[in-house]
Amino acid sequence: MDKVSWNLRIVAEEKEPATVYVRKHQFRVGVPLQFDPEYQHITALEYALGALSADVVGGLQAVSRRRRLKLYCIEAVVSGELNNPLTYLGVVGETGNPGLEHVNMTVYVSSTAKEEDIREIWGEMLQKSPLVQTLKPTVKLDFVLKVTA
Amino acid sequence: MTKPVIVGTVLYDPKVAVIWGIISDFFNENGFPIDMVFYSNYDLMVDALLKRNIDIAWNSPLSWLDSQMRSGGRCRAIAMRDTDRDRESYLVVKADSGFKKVSDLRGKSVAVGASDSPQATLIPLSYLQNHGLIPGKDVHVKRFDILVGKHGDHTGGELEAFYSLSRGEVVACAMIDLNWQRWTQDGTINPNEYKILATTDKFDHCVFTVRQDFPADLEKRWLEVLFSMSYDNPKHREMMDMEGLKQWLPGRTSGFGPLGDAVKTFHFFKGGEI
Repeated sequence: MDKVSWNLRIVAEEKEPATVYVRKHQFRVGVPLQFDPEYQHITALEYALGALSADVVGGLQAVSRRRRLKLYCIEAVVSGELNNPLTYLGVVGETGNPGLEHVNMTVYVSSTAKEEDIREIWGEMLQKSPLVQTLKPTVKLDFVLKVTA
Repeated sequence: MTKPVIVGTVLYDPKVAVIWGIISDFFNENGFPIDMVFYSNYDLMVDALLKRNIDIAWNSPLSWLDSQMRSGGRCRAIAMRDTDRDRESYLVVKADSGFKKVSDLRGKSVAVGASDSPQATLIPLSYLQNHGLIPGKDVHVKRFDILVGKHGDHTGGELEAFYSLSRGEVVACAMIDLNWQRWTQDGTINPNEYKILATTDKFDHCVFTVRQDFPADLEKRWLEVLFSMSYDNPKHREMMDMEGLKQWLPGRTSGFGPLGDAVKTFHFFKGGEI
């Protein structure tokens, strides 16, 4: 099989957030990370956490459809911690790195299906998730699945 | 392009960088570009000031003394917040403890902050010593060394000292007046359950510091911009609230006496143990 690749183009102009062009779409990304809650753009780190969560939620939907399992609603709450955010700011004397070290995610699934069936597709989704499989070797991923009727 | 003046500060929490970002933008907008350099501890920042890696240091009171000591008195205090002047530290006890005077603490345990906290350790312990209670001999000292090197900026040790009092492990704890005000307002401390047993002499806190040879014209222009911040301007007020001031004032050195005495008493810069 030929290698399959995904191609994006990203452009940043002075003081403006970067614009990502992908297929026929585009979106804007702010600075890598930001500590000001009033910052006006979505940061690269927030997009990364959002992408990981969307991968999990969307993956769960996709697998459930294949298994003809009805999931009414899926919601994920995610938080990420860096190894040492002060290194991103270049604080002299700090050690470590600004990489993601730990991601906590709680996924709420509303369904009348049996919980054991949902847990089975949860396991399958994790195996097939591109981003979970990418991050798993280097980032501590604590995911919790909560099923409600 | 004008060469930016380089300002150093110690950063213990990334959120503090937001404040310095606003200050930096303010200087840039006023035609006086500054670059910020962050340090993990005051020792490194004083090194940088004296090695000319930075032009201005946002010193803690302890690092001000350190700068002066290491430079042989060749540093100048040029600006400080209004809230840096005339601070006090309190020795706080339980309201029903029956303690009425400092000497009642003889033979008891007192909780303090980090070993290098001027407000929560050095000045209060020096106060006890000046009132006849030698720390470690006449009073047992329980110290909370959280983030040593940041000179008590991080209030974690000070807060742990209070929690130690609330748990009954000690009979008194030390804290700066600003934290007493904050914690009695936000519910951390119930002011009906605790009281101030003693108040230290007034002292000054942080101060912008330059080397003696920092060019006078640069200093004058830099201070003009700094002092032009106005609490009446909503754009400035946000930062000033975050940094805890209503006005920038000229630096002064008359308020470092109590800490200077404490440093001598405990041989702090010679590795003395409290």
